[in-house]
Amino acid sequence: MAKTKKPVVPKNDIPLGKAMKRDWQLYVMLAFPIILVIVFSYAAYPGLRMVFMDYKPMKGYAGSEWVGLETFKKIFNDKDFIRALRNSIAFNLLDLAVGFPLPIILALILNELRYPKFKKVTQTILYLPHFLSWAIIGSVAYTMFRPSTGLVNIILMNAGIIDSGIPFLTEKWHWAVTYLLLGVWQTMGWGTIMYLAAITGISGDLYEAAMIDGAGRWKRMLHITLPGIRPTIVTLLIMNLGRVMGSNLERLTAFENSMVRDFSYQFAVYIYEKGLSASKYSMATAVNLFQSLVGVVLVLLADRVAKKLGEDGLL
Amino acid sequence: MNKKVIKRTLAAALVGTMVFGSVPTIAGAEEATGMDAWEAFDETVTIKIPVYDRGAEGVPDVTNNYWTKWVQSEFGDKYNINVEYVGITRSDVMTDYALLGASGELPTILMEYDYDKLATWATEGYLTEYDLDYFAEIAPTYYQGMVDRDQLQYVEMAGGNYLVLSERPYYETNYTYITFVRMDWLEEVGYDYIPSLTSQDYIDAMLAIKEAGIAEYPDGGVMLTGVGSDQTYAWRTYPQDEENWVMYGDYQIPSLSSDENYALLSFLNQKYNAGIMNPEYYTIDTETDKSNFINGETFAYSGYISASMDWLESFYEQNPDAELAVVVQSTELNDEGYAPAYRANNPFGMMIGFSSLATEDEITAAMMYMEWMCQDETLETFQWGIEGENFTYDEDGNKVSIDYSEQSSDYKQGYNNSIDYWCIVTASRSTGTIEDTIIASLPQNLPQNFNDAVIENYYNQVEVASYGWAVTDCMFGDALESVTEYQETLINLYIELRDKLVVASEDEFDSLYEEYAQQYLDAGYQEVIDERLELFNEGMTTKLPTYDDAVATTVE
Repeated sequence: MAKTKKPVVPKNDIPLGKAMKRDWQLYVMLAFPIILVIVFSYAAYPGLRMVFMDYKPMKGYAGSEWVGLETFKKIFNDKDFIRALRNSIAFNLLDLAVGFPLPIILALILNELRYPKFKKVTQTILYLPHFLSWAIIGSVAYTMFRPSTGLVNIILMNAGIIDSGIPFLTEKWHWAVTYLLLGVWQTMGWGTIMYLAAITGISGDLYEAAMIDGAGRWKRMLHITLPGIRPTIVTLLIMNLGRVMGSNLERLTAFENSMVRDFSYQFAVYIYEKGLSASKYSMATAVNLFQSLVGVVLVLLADRVAKKLGEDGLL
Repeated sequence: MNKKVIKRTLAAALVGTMVFGSVPTIAGAEEATGMDAWEAFDETVTIKIPVYDRGAEGVPDVTNNYWTKWVQSEFGDKYNINVEYVGITRSDVMTDYALLGASGELPTILMEYDYDKLATWATEGYLTEYDLDYFAEIAPTYYQGMVDRDQLQYVEMAGGNYLVLSERPYYETNYTYITFVRMDWLEEVGYDYIPSLTSQDYIDAMLAIKEAGIAEYPDGGVMLTGVGSDQTYAWRTYPQDEENWVMYGDYQIPSLSSDENYALLSFLNQKYNAGIMNPEYYTIDTETDKSNFINGETFAYSGYISASMDWLESFYEQNPDAELAVVVQSTELNDEGYAPAYRANNPFGMMIGFSSLATEDEITAAMMYMEWMCQDETLETFQWGIEGENFTYDEDGNKVSIDYSEQSSDYKQGYNNSIDYWCIVTASRSTGTIEDTIIASLPQNLPQNFNDAVIENYYNQVEVASYGWAVTDCMFGDALESVTEYQETLINLYIELRDKLVVASEDEFDSLYEEYAQQYLDAGYQEVIDERLELFNEGMTTKLPTYDDAVATTVE
């Protein structure tokens, strides 16, 4: 198949002032998100200097002691930090490996559904978990998966399939699988939206031509739909790589128990327990800054690799 | 007297002269003091008073309700003081105060039950020192209470006068915290008494209940939630070694690696392996634990008593034929030689400090607020509410609180009879004698009456206290850096290691305990106990009380 050409952007000769006067309504609309980003993302940046201080709320920035890189040294020498780092990277990569392809596959399958009503109902069912909070999912999961009193284990035991309950959430390896699969279940449906939107942008002529050439549904999916959404896949992959160092406290708290802390101890838990709960704001901020910086580096690297491979990239 | 205090005294004298025309100076004043001498401020002074927001269901807005307005009309308006309440999340006190402090919105007073928190505030600049003489002049009733209760020794912290102490009646006992057990179950398996809950006899009883098919996991179990977990008082040897008490005696950080903690966890491990505990207890939260008792699945449940105990009412609805019994404090060593010891409270209730951001006027107004709150009529009204709306009288003429759910929303009291407002004066509601107080603190409309048992429990605790088995934790005169640094880490690590020990097989328990104890010490606990000992050696801690009637444990 021929390489997709970059769209030609027409040169804009209209001066900015004139353009703003002409399309002022659009610029006003644009102003709101820009202001929000400035206020809530960039205006807080000066506060980042607390990572070089032993910040005490009552002393403020002016009165808190300047400690340079001491906080970072402390963090990098902390065994718990290493544990959180290891778990965060491992689980985010696994999340990515398991969770990233599934919405694509699902979007391809949904796109092939021919009965509109069935398609809509299916989509709605798939989207629903996205609207459930992790607290609810965690609570339901424990009710379903407890070894001795969980519904799933009771059914399996009554059916004679197992002799004793499977510790889905109370043994660390089982927990890892359950945690990942529940994560996929929660995000999978919602993740298809972008791909379905991208699919609608693929020209119908391509499918028509392929059908005339004798391509079946499988071939059309493989050679038209999938390449058609490739730029979207790459963009989302790059964005997801930026989250490899992140972690979700709500999700971890919902599934946490003391038997699985070897795995559930990730950055969000580390920041909350060692930083915020202990009023060590400098430390919490330093870890968060570290996460963000690594995330940015990964995004930039991935973007560069994507461009080298001939994709549009993100930036 | 240091410079700061002199400056404050002079400023206070000036304010006193301005605000109270009839109080010319602090020293040598023979005219009326306290409320009699108060005059309204010329300009409105706003004070901010913290109040716990516990997120309890059905409780009116803690910062704006009938009772906050009542304070304003009865006290604030009279002295041109604007009383504002600031909600403090009960489960996240330090963060709330930190955020308020960072934004310059610290309440005029800061208060907490935990000594460590006050120590942190004192050393990190949240609190300002205050002049005790000036306080005595503005709030003589409150001050005299502190004198009468011998609390002035606790006023100083981190080298300055920072703390004002409220009252904690009967602090050596825990009579408000009661354990209820299924007596009908015990009787069914041949027991006519309640075995000590920390003995082999107890495990045998639970096994008998399990084998009789009454309950699958009668001992239940619940996940640990943090500070105050796994108290070891009943696993210590008495009389205690003072250094041991200093090092391991604080309940803020569990004492993994101590002998008493080993004994406690070893017992839990035995219970777990005997099969009487829920094998997944570490996934059961406190609400589920309560539900399990209400649903008749577990043997015991403990809780604070109050005039309306909804969980007890629910229990009887679910189990109409059940017979409960109160675990009355034992006064004898158990079969293993351990004492029925428990943690006595601090000899004070709320600890109060003044904000370093508050003006002299605001501090004076806050002192006035405290004085007004400790007047008998104020306290009586705040604790009991309005006749017919919040309480009625029984046939003996004693006040009886109206069930919370039945109080009119217009006059509804705050959580637990508005305790989070009047806690600035006292930690519990007293009604004459201890008998009257207990009866007023218990629901009287249940199928069973527990008045006598709870009263007996109180008197047994008084007896036990005289044996040196009611232990007050060691208090440190300065903030411990190691505690600030490692407390959260250690608490969370403890929960993880402790549960792994509880579920371990009995064979591997000892070796695992040794391994985890070392891990715990390395994670910061060694530094904590070293620093505690250091302060003790410098004479900056309270001392272990001695008892004439001390009784020694006989445990091997």
